[in-house]
This record gives sequence, C-alpha cells and structure tokens, in this order.
Amino acid sequence: MKILIIENEKTLSDSIVTYLKGQDYICEVAADFNTAQEKTELYDYDCILLDITLPGGSGLAILKQLRANNKMDGVLIISAKDSLDDKVTGLTLGADDYLSKPFHLSELTARIAAIIRRKQFDGSSIVRFNSIIIDTQAKVATVNNKPLELTKKEFELLLYFVSNKRRVISKNAIAQHLWGDEMEGSLDFIYTHIKNLRKKLMETGDADYIKSIYGMGYKFSD
Amino acid sequence: MKLLAKFNRTNILVTIAVFLIGGFCYYLILQYVLLDHLDSDLKVEEQEITDYIHANNRLPNPANYKDQIIEFAPTNEPVVRKIKSIDTLNSKENEYVSIRQLVFSATISGKYYQVSISKTQEETEDLIQLIVPITLGLVVFLLIILFIINHFILNKLWHPFNVTLGVLKQFNLNSNPSIQLKDNNISEFKELNNAVSKMSKRVLSDYEALKSFTENASHEIQTPIAIVSSKLELLMQSESFTETQMQDIQIIHDEIRRLSKLNQSLLLLTKIDNQQFQETEPVDLGIIINKRLYNYEELIASKGITLTQNIKSPFTLLMNEIMAEVLVSNLITNAIKHNTKNGTIHITLNENQLTISNTGSPLTTNPDELFERFKKDKANSESLGLGLAIVKKICEQYNFAVRYDSTNSVHTLTIVFQ
Repeated sequence: MKILIIENEKTLSDSIVTYLKGQDYICEVAADFNTAQEKTELYDYDCILLDITLPGGSGLAILKQLRANNKMDGVLIISAKDSLDDKVTGLTLGADDYLSKPFHLSELTARIAAIIRRKQFDGSSIVRFNSIIIDTQAKVATVNNKPLELTKKEFELLLYFVSNKRRVISKNAIAQHLWGDEMEGSLDFIYTHIKNLRKKLMETGDADYIKSIYGMGYKFSD
Repeated sequence: MKLLAKFNRTNILVTIAVFLIGGFCYYLILQYVLLDHLDSDLKVEEQEITDYIHANNRLPNPANYKDQIIEFAPTNEPVVRKIKSIDTLNSKENEYVSIRQLVFSATISGKYYQVSISKTQEETEDLIQLIVPITLGLVVFLLIILFIINHFILNKLWHPFNVTLGVLKQFNLNSNPSIQLKDNNISEFKELNNAVSKMSKRVLSDYEALKSFTENASHEIQTPIAIVSSKLELLMQSESFTETQMQDIQIIHDEIRRLSKLNQSLLLLTKIDNQQFQETEPVDLGIIINKRLYNYEELIASKGITLTQNIKSPFTLLMNEIMAEVLVSNLITNAIKHNTKNGTIHITLNENQLTISNTGSPLTTNPDELFERFKKDKANSESLGLGLAIVKKICEQYNFAVRYDSTNSVHTLTIVFQ
C-alpha cells in the first residue's frame, strides 16, 4: 500500500512514516505545494494524507486538481485548522475523511485502513489477522470460522486493534476512537470493553492477543 | 419617546403658551385702546356741553341717543370730575351691561349741577369677545399646520437617517461587506454616514484580525502539540523502558492531550463569542440526543446506569447544527462521566425545555458557579471545567435559559427554550 504524506512539518511526517512503516505501508513525503502537486500528478497512491496549510499553496487546491484529473486516490485531510469551513469544503471537494491535529497515530492508521478498504474495487472488505477474519461491510467477525458475538463497540475495538496490530495503543486513543473527543479521559470505561473482547476471543480457543502494557495501554499481537 | 413626539410636545406647549399670553396681551391692549377711544368721545361731548352752558347760560336739553345718555342733577357743591366703568342692570334684556360714564360739574348762575354722560361699552365687549375665538381658532389652525409639517416634511427630512439606521440594523459581521451609504446633501447626515462607513470598515478589519489571530494561534499551538504527541506515541512502541518511565510517558501524553483539548475548547468559546456559528436551520434535538445515546449505549450499560427518557420527536428548533451537537454531547457526556455506578439518567425533551438529570456525588460548590470558565467541582479534577461554560455560551446565543439544580445526589440541568 502506497501512502503519500503531504505535510510541511518534517518532524511530524517523520513520526507518521515511522509508525506507518511498521504497518507495512510504503510512504512518500511531500513537504511543499509544488512537490505535492508533482507527485500527485505523476503517481497513484492508495491514500494521500493532505495538510491544508502548505508553503506555496493550499492543500485544497491539490485535492481539487486531483479530482479534476479523475484520480480517485483516497484523501485524508489532516489539518491543525479546526476550521469548519475547511472541513466542509474538503469533504465537498471529494476528500474521504478529515482528521484534525493533534491526532493519535493509531487513529490515523485506522482511518487510512478504512479509506483504503472503501477504495478497493474488488469489494474486499475483509481484514485478516491470523485466524481472525473481520468483514467490515457486514460488520461480523469470525475466529477459525466460528462467529464472534460482538457488540458494536467491541467490533470497532477489534478492528481498531487489528488496524494497529503489534503497536502499543494508549487508553486515551481507544477512548477517543470509541466514543469521540468528549469521552477522552474517561479511561476507566474502556476497561470493561477490553475485558469482554478478550474473553470472547479466548473463548474461541485462540491465543490471548490483547496484552496490557503497564501504565500505557494495550497491544494487539500474536 | 420618539424625537418627533418630543419635539411636537414641546412645540405644541410653547405654541399654546405663546398664543395664550399673546391673546391676553392683545386683549389688554385692545381694551385700553377702545376705552381710550370711548373716553375721548365722552370728552368731546363734555366740551360741547360746557361750550353750550357758556354760550347760553343754561343746561342743554337732555338728549338720549341710542347708546348715549346725558343726565343733569343739581348738587350742593361741585362734584369731582371722573371717568369710570359701571355695570347696570338693563331692564329690557334683564342682564348686566357695562357703561362708561363721565361725571363732571357745571355751574349755572351760582348753582351746581352734576352732569353725567354715559356710553354703553357693549361694542367694545363684543369686539373683545371676538378676539377669544379668533385666537383659539388660530391656535387650532397652527396646530394642524404643525402636525402636517411634522408628519410629511419632518418624516421626509429624517428619511436618510432612517435609511442609515436600517442599514446598521442589518449589519452583520459574518455576512455583510462594509457598509456603503448613499451620498446625502444634508451635512449632518453626510457626516453620520461617513462616520458609520468608517466605523463599519474598522470593525470589520478588527474582527477579521481577531478571527485570524485566534485561528492562527490555535493552529500554531496545535502543530507542536501534534509533533510532541506523535513522538510520544512512537516512544511508547519501544520496549526498553522501565515501568516508571512508561508511566511517565503516558502521563506526558495524557497532559499533552489535555492541553490540546483546552486549546480547542477555548477556541470554540471564542468562536461562539465571535458569532461564527450564525447559519441556522431547523434542528431536531431528539434525533441528536438519540444518536448520542446510541453511541454511548454500551458505555451506559457497562456502568450499570438506568436510562429513562421522554423525548418528543420530531420537533425542531432553529439552531446551528454544530452548536446543537456540541450542546447535547456536552450535557450527555457530563451525565455519564459524573454518574455513579448503577446510577440513573433521565432525559426529558419537549417544545418548552430539555431536562437531563443524573445521579452523582454531591456538589461541593455552588452549582451556578460551575457555568463559569475553569470552575469545576473538586470531585472531578480531571475535567477541563469548560464544558458547562460552553453550554451556557450556546444557550446565551439562542436566548435559552439554563439552570443547574442539585440535591444531594441528583443533578439536574434544565434548558428552557424561549
């Protein structure tokens, strides 16, 4: 999977690249408007992370051009301008999603994965991890062909874990992903969900994938 | 009170006063002139009688004309000459009539006579009586003229002012360009229009500057926060930390998120203050509430909270949709976050009000203070203390009344739509 990161803050794009590489994505970076324009014209990407404020021009112009050229690369706007106009304009111009800075890298990864899944033309909405098979369209999951009876939040949580497999995810990131910004900080709430999900996964006889990392959060790995 | 009404009131009072005083003075002057005229007639008569006595050494025959009576009466000594007005009863018409009388002495062969010449004052009085209705008529006529002038001419004169006022009322920082007013040849209005145009331009540029400052400030702050946050997340992936170090990283990460939330909430408050959420549309609060509750369904269940609701839907309020979302989500997350295990939440929504009550630990502060920025109850030190400030700010924008009632363990937030 090829990702283009259009972001002028080098330290931030470095972090994103490092994190995404661990999830088997191939990343390229464009730090200014002209480079971004060149790259989007010449190559196709599975997903483009697009910052709106760029040296040399607006990220929205790149998006406009991309869609005018009938290129259907997935576009995820990442902007520190939590300006509503930008969000609405961005989505109207054909962006697939909008994430305002600062974001959790785990959230970013989950959003990228979702965009790429939606863009796949072979209709493949199946996500696999070892013996776990998640159908994101039908919203069902099976382990060793045995169906998992998950609540909707448990399903979201499982998908989130698999999208960020082998990564430590902070409790804050999980809380924000499940319930939105407002519930961030209510960390005790996620414990029940994690516990239930872990129990349901273990009941299928599979390994215990969810590891609790002391003081930090959780890690989903084999 | 309207300027015109105030002007009219003063104008009418002054006019009436001027006419009353003027009429009274006119009355006095006219009375004086007419009496003077009457007196000089009497004096001519006196002269004629005196001349006749001198020439003939006898009294003339008493001669009564229509409005003049001459009488003679013998006296023992000379009478003092004087002119006076007297009221006598007219036997024919049985009413008092005023008479001007000149009394003087005449001597014929050593005998004294009192001569009195009387003239009726009726004509004088008639004349004076005419003055009153004429004056009153003039007052009424003038008032009518004034009314017409005020109504048509003043309204026309004030028209440019009303136009300017109308434009000012329509002025809106978010949608209008600066105010452009038509030229006016009245210098006062010209000055007013110039001042208004200049002011609107300055206000707009100040507002734009403030808006871009808050946005830029937020942007500039969020970027370093985003970098720190991402670096911390990468650090978390390292497996070489001790438990204490990992805990510290998590604390730094949490606080960075808090800083970012704080920044976003303050920015939101500023934006509401700057009225940047002007667009309104019919919003169904019931749908928004249900959507939120659906999202938090499992959360509510995992805390063992019993949720009861009495929500009227569909019914719409004219609001900004984002404001409605923020309002509802703030209230519902508060009711969940500050609830106790196995507690309750009750939500009522109808055309008049939205009430959300929940169980929770007793407050240690005055509930009204919780609407102030950064005021929070001690028991909830983790919250930012901005949620209710945002709720209040949104309610202010739509003239909703918001109230926080708290008994020992039940907290009720009521928003009354007006």
